[in-house]
Order: sequence, then structure tokens, then C-alpha cells
Amino acid sequence: MKKSAWGLVDAFFDKYDLVDHHIHSYNDFVSNRIQEIIDTSEPIELEQGQYTVETGKVTIEKPFIKEADGSKSKIYPTEARLRNLTYSAHMSLEMRLLKEGGSETEFEKVHIGELPVMLKSEICHLHGLGRDELIEKGEDPADLGGYFIVNASERSIVTMEEIAPNKIILERIGEEDEKRARAIVTSIRSGFRARISLEYRKPRKTGVFLRISFPYVPGELPLVILLRALGLATDQEIITSISDDFNYQMIAADDIQVSLDKLKLDSDKMEEEMDEEERREYLIRSAIKYIGNRVAKGMTEDYRIKRAEDVIDRYLLPHIGTEPDKRLEKAVYLAEMTEMLLQVISGERKPHDKDHYTNKRLRVSGDLMEDLFRVAFTSLTRDMSYRLERSLARGKEPSVKQAVRSDVLSENLKHAIATGNWVGGRAGVSQLLDRTSYMGTLSHMRRVVSPLSRSQPHFEARDLHPTQFGKICPNETPESPNCGLVKNLALMAKISEGSDPDEIEEVIKKMGVIN
Amino acid sequence: MRGILKKISQINFGLMSPEDIRKMSVAQIVTPDTYDEDGYPIENELMDPRLGVIGSSLRCRSCGAKGGECPGHFGSINLARPVIHVGFADTIHKILSSICRKCSRILLTETEIQDYRQRILEAMEREESLTPIIKEIYAEARRDRCPHCEEEQEEIKLDKPVSIVEGDYKLTPSEVRERLERITDNDSLLLGVNPEVARPEWMVLTVLPVPPVTVRPSITLETGERSEDDLTHKLVDILRINQRLKENMEAGAPQLIVEDLWELLQYHVTTYFDNEASGVPPARHRSGRPLKTLAQRLKGKEGRFRSNLSGKRVNFSARTVVSPDPNVSVNEVGVPELIAKEVTVPVYVTEWNIDRMKEHIENGPDVHPGANYVIRPDGRKIRAYNETKDVVLENLKPGYIVERHLKDGDIVLFNRQPSLHRMSMMAHEVRVLPYKTFRLNLCVCPPYNADFDGDEMNMHVFQTEESRAEAKTLMRVQDHILSPRFRDLSSGVYTTISQEHTSSQGKRLFSVRSRPPDPQEGRAPPPDREGREWTVKEIFSMVLPDDLNMVYLAEICRKCDECLEMDWENDAYVVIENGQLITGVIDEKAYGAFAGKILDQIVKEYGSDAAKEFLDSATKLAIAGIMHAGFTTSTNDEEIPEEAKERIEAHLRNAEARVDQLIEAYENGELEPLPGRSLEETLEMKIMQVLGEAKDKSGEIAESYFDMDENHAVIMALTGARGAMLNLTQITACVGQQSVHGGRITRGYDNRTLPHFKKGELGAKSRGFVHSSYKEDSILLEFMGGREGLVDTAIRTAQSGYMQRRLVNALQDLTVDENGRVVDNRGVIIQTRFGEDGVDPAKSDYGKIVDLDKLVQEIRLKSGK
Repeated sequence: MKKSAWGLVDAFFDKYDLVDHHIHSYNDFVSNRIQEIIDTSEPIELEQGQYTVETGKVTIEKPFIKEADGSKSKIYPTEARLRNLTYSAHMSLEMRLLKEGGSETEFEKVHIGELPVMLKSEICHLHGLGRDELIEKGEDPADLGGYFIVNASERSIVTMEEIAPNKIILERIGEEDEKRARAIVTSIRSGFRARISLEYRKPRKTGVFLRISFPYVPGELPLVILLRALGLATDQEIITSISDDFNYQMIAADDIQVSLDKLKLDSDKMEEEMDEEERREYLIRSAIKYIGNRVAKGMTEDYRIKRAEDVIDRYLLPHIGTEPDKRLEKAVYLAEMTEMLLQVISGERKPHDKDHYTNKRLRVSGDLMEDLFRVAFTSLTRDMSYRLERSLARGKEPSVKQAVRSDVLSENLKHAIATGNWVGGRAGVSQLLDRTSYMGTLSHMRRVVSPLSRSQPHFEARDLHPTQFGKICPNETPESPNCGLVKNLALMAKISEGSDPDEIEEVIKKMGVIN
Repeated sequence: MRGILKKISQINFGLMSPEDIRKMSVAQIVTPDTYDEDGYPIENELMDPRLGVIGSSLRCRSCGAKGGECPGHFGSINLARPVIHVGFADTIHKILSSICRKCSRILLTETEIQDYRQRILEAMEREESLTPIIKEIYAEARRDRCPHCEEEQEEIKLDKPVSIVEGDYKLTPSEVRERLERITDNDSLLLGVNPEVARPEWMVLTVLPVPPVTVRPSITLETGERSEDDLTHKLVDILRINQRLKENMEAGAPQLIVEDLWELLQYHVTTYFDNEASGVPPARHRSGRPLKTLAQRLKGKEGRFRSNLSGKRVNFSARTVVSPDPNVSVNEVGVPELIAKEVTVPVYVTEWNIDRMKEHIENGPDVHPGANYVIRPDGRKIRAYNETKDVVLENLKPGYIVERHLKDGDIVLFNRQPSLHRMSMMAHEVRVLPYKTFRLNLCVCPPYNADFDGDEMNMHVFQTEESRAEAKTLMRVQDHILSPRFRDLSSGVYTTISQEHTSSQGKRLFSVRSRPPDPQEGRAPPPDREGREWTVKEIFSMVLPDDLNMVYLAEICRKCDECLEMDWENDAYVVIENGQLITGVIDEKAYGAFAGKILDQIVKEYGSDAAKEFLDSATKLAIAGIMHAGFTTSTNDEEIPEEAKERIEAHLRNAEARVDQLIEAYENGELEPLPGRSLEETLEMKIMQVLGEAKDKSGEIAESYFDMDENHAVIMALTGARGAMLNLTQITACVGQQSVHGGRITRGYDNRTLPHFKKGELGAKSRGFVHSSYKEDSILLEFMGGREGLVDTAIRTAQSGYMQRRLVNALQDLTVDENGRVVDNRGVIIQTRFGEDGVDPAKSDYGKIVDLDKLVQEIRLKSGK
């Protein structure tokens, strides 16, 4: 390296720590995302809406402990380590119980639980302390923080690598001349992940080429029927929105032909009795009915239709939106996805390289805490509504303060971090911080784990990919069966926290981008 | 119970009939409870004292034996309604599909029945496998109409795990049983059920055997709480439901309720047999842990078969860390005194050894060559405590057995896992040594694949004279110097000898006074010889047998077109005449791990003990030599002059230019495709070829600047001691092309590997040709090749283990019989001669019956020409 470049390196490390990604991500979690989760969580309703619990602002205090004699004092990490305590912060939430037709009541501040605190984060006592102050508090001044202390054991949350969500990934199945391919989108909306998979495959005897599967629908659906159910009523609409290319249009047209009788259309009635608007309505309805038969077989027709609509609104591409008026948008998205898939089949477009780092996202401690907190908070609200209902049933005056069991939330968070068993059944998310050596600690804090299974070969995924240049260390990986699946961030790599898509959209529009 | 001996003459495999179960049952189990208030077992429940007892205080009500001696006795449960046995659900389904739904005759015509019957009886006569015939019958017996009663047949499906559905109607186990009952004995034989040992309807259970308590012991926790075995829990469930079903049926409950309970009983019986059957939710313990029922006890790695029957824990074994010791012979193992005092050898006391044995007992269990136990002829075991040993000594007479400590010269079995081949377990002689590690000679590391970074090994002490004798004849280390795979054991020691030779050219003098190279007395060289000191070659000759004659080319031989033989300056032409090394160096070819010529010769001509002696003394000589001369290497050994660097640089530039020319030709369409290849493949191949040559050439240039006499790294590479020339040239000259999945690197960004290349660029650099050396800069693409190697080794170790297991399972029963044929356990001949030629690769010359070249050479040497 040229001598002058070292100056840049020094300047970089003057400004950034090696564990910045954890600390920034956790700060973002504490200051924005907790509030967001609470605001967007489903409100508690009791007795068919007679009572509702409204939530307000959440406040998080810096860590302190209540001793057995009732005295309160600040707690520093060292004390937590020595006394087998958890370094955690008090969370309180403004809540009030509204009775239908009742008067407005004041917000009450309720202690909802303890949040394990990441060392050196904004809510940590060590935040912003100087060298001498750190030594005075019993800390190693060179320690970078970024981990938690739960029951006196130091636990770091390992960064998880995942395939980029809300992005179409095209992949070929088998060899090129097998003519099979799949387009996958992992659509994420507030913690709910829906995997939508569109596959092009030659049907065994008769049937459609393009099939789609998504959560809560057993098996696969013909794509064209789904598009119709989403509001592309006529054949022409479906075909033209998929592609302008005649060849691709023909594939879609074939599928429409094949799947037509599944809709059980009454063509005479359509021709004679309906005007164009009615016909459109009729076509969409029959497509929805078909889906209804699949998702709620054996139920009443009304329920089937309701359920079908519910499923396509909530579980199909939820990142676009979950309201019924987003259906057309989803249809367009799917149509575009279809064209891309067909291009892969014809060889016009290359399938995506799954290991390309553009198709990967890293989930840092804040993101993982978000998942955890969302589930823990839901179980708190569930517990609350159970207790409120019980006190109502006993004829007592319900009280929010008494209904909250702060242990529910605290224990959920603590237990997950202490054992590494995260929500969604993932194990080993938090690990005992490696203190073999200072470098071991640093390396552990920058570790990136891929969720691919260790037992399968996955040769491609284990290889060093040139796009990891500058982001992932090319050298550091274990020699165990985890080889290439456990990685480490490059020394000078930073992880951004992500920003509000609306804000970005605005900026882009301001820069002159139309549509 | 004791003393009843019976010889097993044959074993029948069949099904247990309900009568069989009742006959062997000593108790009818009815109540689901286990103990009364006082904690005593009640009659007719799962802990019925007639089922046997655990704990020595009680006596079994059936056989009168005490706990621990009573083997236990089966009980039985009368099921209120029959249930299907999960293990036979598939078979039942198959049978039902092949018999008529009305008359239960097999769906074959009379003539077919006659024909198949004939074939089956014939096959049974000849003791052949019936499987193919039965398979054929099942395939044939699918008819839409019964040939016997003309009944229309419906399709029968198996709804996993145990529901049998005919058309849309689910058959109850009773109906299934009825159908199976109607099958005639004749038909049953055709369906693969031998009526002599089993009836098809026995696959539907009406009586459930209850295993004895010894099979499902309950444990008492410290708190005094009793904790029952999983099987007992499951049996309680079965009994409870059975009881309810019975009551409901007697009370005339509605059909629906009875069916529900029946279904539940079926579920419990199913999970009692197999709690991992597909299609049923596993029965769980209160804590949420799935119960471990019968199938789980047997299945898999932790199951009875693989864990307790194929593999067992043993006594008289030891395990500790291994460390090297050159002063231990190849066929020895250094055993820590601590271990030697713990694991013992049983010795029969005779008139001739009674005094020695007394000495052992006198030493007691804590002083090393002592004894731990004395076994009296009546089988009583007495510990030889310091306090009791006087009494023991007094009584000791021939016929007693003394379990004495391990001492020098005992034969033990030494093993390192994974035991991949027979050399992973070899018999060693004990050397009791201080400290706490097993010590082994460096030359036995390769067959065990051991190193000393924390490896642990196991030692087993033989407990019978027969085993000791068998090990001595078959398993000793020296008998495995030549093995089917490893040509011989040692590695790594030859460097020194060869190095001394190359540098001395037989002229430099090398005196060994402090340590005689040969431990054998009388062969130690006198300090002075004819007024001059010894040459290295003369010293080495001391470890060779006196009448050894051989000629071969050493590893350092450059394979010149015309061999200069003895005149070549590097001394690669090895001549040994009458045990004297005349010319040549001693390197890997002499006694390396795969190639050792001298060692090979000695094993074959003089036997394995001589080979052991040779190996030991040569190793000691080498160590003495290396202690004398010193041998080290540093990065300076990989330094080449500026001039060489320039030459290499020019050469690589030239090669890259040629690659560019090839690409240009390809782009202009001037490239001719090679036969059978596409244009792209041709280009790739040509580029690879050019770059490969370039790397080799640059290596050659670097090599030509290396000094063969003084450069230790080069000496190691050339003699084959450690490292290869390729490693050295990669360090000095050029790393070369990195390959991933067998080709140049293509993955990466869109149409290029890295963003600082042009899109679509095919040149050497952009596809992973590393121009620089390891000493210079490294680039990202270099890591890609490295990662692939790492992944490969990681995956391979995991996969090869499983492959090994499969291979062993497939081949373990093959043996070579006294006629030289390879036979399996049934006596079926696999090969008429072992390996088709009858040659033992370990005892032949490189797998051939005769090595003509060697013979000719020998004769020539012997005739003095």
C-alpha cells in the first residue's frame, strides 16, 4: 500500500470503531424502532370493542437496579458482571384504558419490562466516557462494547446474512435446456416474511406452465388466475401487462386457455346478459372463487370469498401493502416478474447469482432485537388482554397498571439473549463473547453467519465471491464444516442502518426522476 | 436359574400368536396404576411382582430369584378391540390389496397358484431367497375381479401410518383382521407368510405383551420421588384407554364414542411401538420431550444395535494424549506409570512364576510393578491391599490368578480414531515411563495419522493368552511396515542423512562418538579407522545388513535423458554392495512413507524384525546427525537475485501478451476450435496451457538460481523430506493461475470478476492469474482458489466418514478362505482367487508376483559384475 494511504486508514479509525455497526443499529432500535413496533402493534380490544387500550410514548431509562432494601442505584457493567446481574434498562410505556362512550382518561406511565442494554450504546452509562472515567468505572478502556450482559455472561449478537428481501431473485432449476426456472421474492412487512415463488415448469400432462405459491395457500396456483383475481379481468389485460413480446404473450395465452374451465364460467350468460363492466366483475369474482376453493375448502361460499380476499391482501407481497386497493399494484408487480422469468427461460436474461453480495443483506443486532421485541411485546399484550378480561369477568374495575406483568417482556428478551434461541426457532443468534484474546473479541463482534445448513455441501455459497471485495474479509473463515458460511466483516467495512423509503423516494423525485 | 445350559440349534423368525403371548404371560395387566399408597406394587398392574423385580431386596414371585438375577417375565394386556401393529401396516396393506374383499382368496387363478406354489417350494428346498417370487406374486395378484368368487374389487389405500381405506370407507382393525383370518394356509404361503410360523391375522393385535419391569426400570430420585420409564408411561396410557373402551362398550355407549376411543387406543399402541412413525404426532412427556418408545430404543446411532451391540465400552483400556519419543522403538509404546498401575494383566500362578507373582503382590497396588487383585480358583476376587496382602501371600498357590500391573515387554493394542484401516490398531510392546502421556516413535505416526497437537490415543490390554498370541502373530507394528496401502511407516527422518551426504560428497568427515548409531552391541564403530575418521556413508552402512545388495535411483534424480550413473555430481545413483553404501544419497526413496526401497528390501529379505532394527537405528543415526549439524530454513532460502526477478517478469509479460493474442484471435474469429470443443472451450484451454507453461518456466528460472548444496529449503524439496519445488517457486517467482471448480475464475460482478476490469475482459489477470509471488503482493482472486481448497477438505472429512461406514457395512463379512477364495458369510463365492491374482500386495513386489528387474540386478551384483 502506498505510504500516503495509511493516513486515510488512520482517519477512518479515528472516526469509526470496529463495532460501530452493532452500536448504531442498537441505537436506532432503541430510539426509533421500539416506538414504531408499539405504535403499529394491534391494539388490545376487550368485550367486542367495549374497552380498548391505547398506548402512547415509550421511555427508556439508563440502567439502574433496585436492591432488596428498595434503594435504587445506577449499575455499571462491571457490577453486573461481578454480581451475576443483567445489564438492562427500565422501559415504561404510556397507556390508558378507554371505555366505549366513556370519558377521556389520563395516560398512565406503566413499567413494561427490562431491556438488555448494549454496552457503549446511547442508553449505556459508558456512552461517551473518556479513558480515565472508564478505568474508574472498572472498564477496560480499549473495550469496544457492542455486546450485552445477561446474568453476568457477556453475549454478543452475531450478524446474520440473508438473501435480500423485497427483491426478485431469478434462478434456474437444473440445466438451461431443461427449461425450468423460478422467481422468488421474500416479501417482508413489519416482521412478517412471506415467500412468494413463481415457477415455470412443463406440466406433467395438462396444466399451466406458470404456477405461483405463497403463504396460506396450499399447493400452487396458476399465475393467470391469480392475476385475474387481482383485477386484471380480461385476457387481454393479463397478456399485455405481462409482456410486449409476442412469444411471451403466447405462453400466457396458453396458460389462460388451459386454466379457463377451472373458473367455471358461464359463457352464454356472459355474452348475453352482461355489459362490459359486469363481465369484468364476473371474471374477477370467479377467479377469487377459485382461490377461495383452494384456501378454505368445504366452507360456505361467503367465507371462501372473504378468506380468499384476505389471503391475497395480507399474504401476497405484503411489502407492497395489505389494503385491497393495492391489488392492481401487486398484479403489475407479478406480471413484471413473469416477464423476467420468461426471459430467463428463453435465455435472454441471465438468472441472478444468489451469492452476489448485491443480493444479500446483513441483519445486525438492532434488526434482530427488533424481531425479538416484536414477539415479546405481542406476548405482553396477549397476557394483558387475558388479565384484563379475567378481571372484567370477575366484575372488577379493570386497571392497566395491574394488568401489565413486566416479567413477560423482560423474561422473553432475557431468555432469548441468554440462550441464543431467537424467535422463529433460530438457535445460536447470540453467543458467548469470545474473550480468548482481544483480537478474538473483535473478530467475534464482526462475525457474519449465513443461515445455510452446515451439513450440506453448498459449494457455491462457501466460495469467496469477488463481490465480497471490501465488505467481507477474504481470509478469515473457520476450517470446520462451517467453512465459508461463517464470515467476518472486512476491517474497514461499515454497515448502514437503512433509511425511510418515502424519504428516499422524495429525494429521487426532487432530482428529476419521473415515475 | 444358574447352571441350566442349552445349546441353540436353530432360530425361527415368525410372528407371535395371541396364544403365544398369553402362554408366556405370567400376569394379566388390567389396572393402569403402578403402586399403592405405601409404595408397594399392586397385583395385575404394571409393576406386578410377578413380572420380575428390580432392586435386590425383593424376590420375584414367578421364579423366586432375587433382583438382579431374575431376568424378568412378560405379562399381557387383553385389548378391548384389536389394533393394527404399525410395523406391519405396510405388509397388511399389501396383503389386503392382493386378496379378495369377499372370500379372502388370493387374486390369482388356480393354475397360477399351482405354478407359484411349485416355485416357492422348490426355492425353499434349495434354500434360495423367496423375495423375487413373492414380489412377482404381489405384482400379479392385482385384479379387478376375484377369479374365485367373481367379486368386484375396490382399491385399497394405506393412509399412513395405520389406517386402511377401501375406496372411501375406512376399514376397522376388526374388519381387517377378519379378512386376514379367512386367508387359507395355502394362500398365505404365496403371500410370503409361512403358515408354520406366522398367520397373517397375527399382525393385528388382540393381546399386547407387557415387557418385564427389568426392561423398564423405574428410578427413585433423591427427593424420594419415583420416576417411571417412558415405556411404563406409554403402557399406562394404553391401559387407561383400554379400560375406558371396555367400560363404554359394556355400557353400550354410542358407536361414535366407541370408535373415538378405539382410534385413541390405536394411537397409543402405535406410539408405544414407534413414536416417530410418519403421520402421527409423537406422544410427549409432561415436559414436552417426545417419549422414547420401543423403536427409538433400537434405532440409529444411539440405539441398542449401533451403540450397545456393535460397539461397547470396555475395561482394561486407557486413553491419554500422545507425545513423541525417538528413544522408544517403533514397536513400543511409552505407557505412563499411572496407567500401568491401573490396567492389569491377569497371570495364572504356576509353580514357575509363583515367586515373581509374590513379589508383585508384595509391592501392592501402589508401587509400580505390583498387583491389584488376586482371583481365587473359586472365582472370588480379593484386592491386594497393603493390609490384606500377607494373608493373600500365604494362600497363594498355583491355580490362582494375579492381576498384576502392566510392565515392560507386555503386548498391548494401541489405537487412534478414526480407525480407518487395519494399521489404525497395532500391537505394541509396553515401556513404562514417567509422566502422563503415551509416548510413541515418530515412525508410526503415518499409519495412525497421529500428530502431537493434542491427539489422544487408546490402549487396550489383552486379558487372555489367546488374544495375546493372536496379536503377536498378526498385529505387531513390524508386521505392518509393508501394508496394502502404505509401503512403509516412516517419514521425515531421511533429510539429515541425505543432507550430510550431499554436502560432504562422501569426503567431509563426520564423527559420532557420543552416541553409537547402532544400539546393538559389538557393532558400534571404533573411534578411529585406518588413521582417519569415518565417512558418513560408512557410518550409515553400519545400520545396513551385511550382505545387502541393491542399486536404485534416489529421489533427487533429475531423470536425465542419459543416465550418468555413478559419475553424476548429485550422487543420485545409489549402490549398496555387501551392506556398504558405495555411492548415492539416502532420501525419501530409501525409507519414505510410500517409496522406501531399502526398507522394502530389508523387510522382504531379512524379515520384519530386521526392518524394525533398521528403522530404529537409522532414525537414531539421523537424530544424532541432525543434532550435530543443525538444520534450519528461513525465508532467505526463497530469495533470488534481482536479475532472476527481471527474467521472470519478462517471461510472464510475454505469456500475458500471448494470451492477449489468443483473445484477439478469438474475437476476430480466427481461432480454430479443437476437435470436440466449442470455440470458448478451445480458448480457455489454450489460455490455461499458455499460463501453465509460463508459471512452470518462471519456476524453472527461479530454480536455476537456487543453490542445491547450501539451500536447506531446496534440499528438503529435492529429497522429498518436506515441501515440493512448486511451493518454493510459488514463494519466489509466480503463484500462477487460481482455479475454482476446475476452471479459471468467472464469477463476480456483471460480466467481470472485479470492478477494476473491463466488462467482458478475458485476459490473464482478470480471470485469476496471479502474476506476483507469495512474497510480493496478494490479490483477492488468490484467496478464491485458497478458499476452495479449504472448503474441499472440510466437506471431504465429513463425507468420507459416512462413505467409510457404508463400505465397511457392505464388506465386513467377506473373508479369504483356506483355498484362497473370497467368500461372504453365507459361503457364496465373491472371487475365486483373492484380488483375481492371489497376490498379497503387502508381501509382493509392488503388487507383482515377481520383480524381474530386481532379480536381474541381484544376480548381476552377486556375480560380481
